[in-house]
Amino acid sequence: MNYYKSIIKADYLQRTRSYAFLITLAISLYIAYTFVPPSDAAYSTVQIGNFRGENNSAWIGYVSAIMTSTFLSLIGFFLVTGGIKKDIDTEVGMIIATTKISNFKYLLSKMLSNFLVLLTIAGIVFVMSIALLFVRGKGYPFEITQFILPYLLTTLPAIFFISSLAVMAEVFLGRWPVLQYLGFFIFFNVIAANVMNGTGSATKMAIDPFGVKVVTMGMEDFVQKHYDAKASLVSVGFNFSENRAIKTFLFNGSTWPSVFIISRLIWIGFSLILIFISAKFFHRFDIKEKIRKKKKNNLLENIPAGILLHDIKLSLLPSITANYAVKPFIKTELLMLFRKGPKWFWLVNLGGMIALIFTPLTIAHQVLLPILWFLQVSRWSDLATKEKTNRIHYFTYASYQPVKRLLPSQIIAGIILAVALASPLMIRYLISGDLMHVLYIFTGAVFIVSFAVCLGILSGGKKLFEILFFLVTYINLNLIPFGDYFGGLNSGIGYTGLMAAIISILLTISFALRKWEISHL
Amino acid sequence: MLLAIQNLSKKYNKEKFGLKDYSLTIENGILGLLGPNGAGKSTLMKIIATISQPTSGTLTLDGHDIVKDPNYIRKILGYLPQDFGVYANLNAYEFLEYIAAMKGVGGVNLRKRIEMLLEGVNLTEAAKLPIGTYSGGMKQRIGIAQVLLNDPKVLIFDEPTVGLDPEERVRFRNLISDLAQDCIIILSSHIVSDIETIADEVAIMKSGELITKGTQATVINAVDGKVFETVLDNDLVNDFKTKHLVVNSMRQKDKMRLRYISNKPTDGSTVCTASLEDAYLFLTKNNG
Repeated sequence: MNYYKSIIKADYLQRTRSYAFLITLAISLYIAYTFVPPSDAAYSTVQIGNFRGENNSAWIGYVSAIMTSTFLSLIGFFLVTGGIKKDIDTEVGMIIATTKISNFKYLLSKMLSNFLVLLTIAGIVFVMSIALLFVRGKGYPFEITQFILPYLLTTLPAIFFISSLAVMAEVFLGRWPVLQYLGFFIFFNVIAANVMNGTGSATKMAIDPFGVKVVTMGMEDFVQKHYDAKASLVSVGFNFSENRAIKTFLFNGSTWPSVFIISRLIWIGFSLILIFISAKFFHRFDIKEKIRKKKKNNLLENIPAGILLHDIKLSLLPSITANYAVKPFIKTELLMLFRKGPKWFWLVNLGGMIALIFTPLTIAHQVLLPILWFLQVSRWSDLATKEKTNRIHYFTYASYQPVKRLLPSQIIAGIILAVALASPLMIRYLISGDLMHVLYIFTGAVFIVSFAVCLGILSGGKKLFEILFFLVTYINLNLIPFGDYFGGLNSGIGYTGLMAAIISILLTISFALRKWEISHL
Repeated sequence: MLLAIQNLSKKYNKEKFGLKDYSLTIENGILGLLGPNGAGKSTLMKIIATISQPTSGTLTLDGHDIVKDPNYIRKILGYLPQDFGVYANLNAYEFLEYIAAMKGVGGVNLRKRIEMLLEGVNLTEAAKLPIGTYSGGMKQRIGIAQVLLNDPKVLIFDEPTVGLDPEERVRFRNLISDLAQDCIIILSSHIVSDIETIADEVAIMKSGELITKGTQATVINAVDGKVFETVLDNDLVNDFKTKHLVVNSMRQKDKMRLRYISNKPTDGSTVCTASLEDAYLFLTKNNG
């Protein structure tokens, strides 16, 4: 039992001591602060018809709980996935494989450490939500149960499920992170569109893994009974409405139907079943063997050993000349970008590019382009950090002018990939004479690559970018102008200027940090 | 060429030093760095390789301050770190071309040079396979090949023989000797025999400080006439070890043959010819 606890503890500490976790925590706190908007805010997060609650304990507790449930489920998956891969990369997995721990217990410990990581964030957000009562509560009394119950019954089962889902995704799609992300992206959107929103029913309440429906149904019910019989849920999320004629009502919490409570227990049980099933298919770090079976013809064992190190005479080697051009860097960086992930995934990219030609311009720009770019998340996320993760940085940092030559090459290669993927859409705009939209897309390409590079260098890993890129893509697919970085919804000189300024800041930070990093290993 | 290190210190925190007031001059030839784990060998090598900055002190190459102008040395640097990695998706050709670009070398002969280097490290047949499929020894040989891509004048090898079998180690030592004609070579190793056979000079380090530096003969002089051998019953060995610095022990049936360093030999001991390993163990165990 002790070693079992040790795995959870070590895993938890290793994750929470990363910059990515701390920055995610800071961002979560900031976003949590916006969960309960002040009365004069230009947005709402939970709105029933034209009503929203007075900022009392119940409203703040319930709203922040379901917002945390949704938000933490959305980004939490990206934050916690990769625990098994870490054990592969660090070769700790090989040690684990030789111990008596069963696959189920190992995966369960991974799941529980995932859960603890998310629970830490949820806990801090929980405290923040209580603080919000005193900031925005206008003298309403503090009722602790109005905070504890919704968090306990909605947020906790939701993050428990996400923790399990992340482990299962890694077991089955460990070699293809982008498929994990895509699968989760689709899953989340299906739940958001069909379960969390729309009319309520007991079935929806039960099958909603995030526990949002039960709360919004209770709120709807309350408003319909006391204020407006036709009022229904507008949305859960950030709703920027022009209509400011919003009334308030006093929400005193809702009841928790037994079917809902049973469903939470079923979700927890289901999460454990997912781990149990995953354990049956877990590779237990015997990965190389699997790869070798597929590549029989390429087996290194087929190459005769011979004399492994011949006598090398330096004087006999052909002379070389100085060449400080960046072209070879760009070429190799592009090659690495191209080879990352499964080969067949390029068919998906190709399909996306073809779709950019034939779908209506607005859909191509506002929906397809951000999806197509998001599919490259794992190609861009380690663009400027792969030296460290692959321990090549000893060579790169000791190379000639690495900040002036290598880093720009990595950025240029990333931009070339983004522009190449968006090229069908850019050509369509070009043909129609709309140069501004070509510029917006190009700016978007530069932005997303700069964003990846900056967050990578800043956090020392790829996780932070992956989480935020997912969040930004989700915001874009919900057509919220705030997250538009490629001119799908915004336009004008002011917008271009703002993007240019953001890109300049990102690149300045990236270059400054890399310069410092290079001499401080 | 002259690499001069003057009062170099690397401080990690208030109490922990990687290097402490370290001074050394290195001229063409091979300098072997010896020291236990944590002695500061890798820290010193990283500073010379310009990937770590000293807290204080100066480091010059032919009078040029390479802390302020690291690119001066980077053009002529060949560095083989202790624990380097590779890009698993690239093959050996692609990887070496990439490293060549980093070093700022190219030209029409680059491809031919890479081919010859790959032949030299016997990776021609595996050259088109992803490096991710290579064994540890093959990766180490790729590391050796990359060092020689440019015409390096300052070569730094941090534990270079890890992963090489005994025969390869001999060939590697031959290679280093060949290179040493007009280069500065700094070589660290835990295996004293690697240093013993090729180093012109030896520097012994401990806890970030330089204990001694000189030719092998000078260093060995510290224990000359103090190395002895004796054969003891097994039950007397532990007691003997508490009183003398035992540098080697060999089991012989019910007895133990012990090699030890002492100013006063015990009865029945025979005097031995001192080796670099004796001097190294004596200096690192007896200093601080």
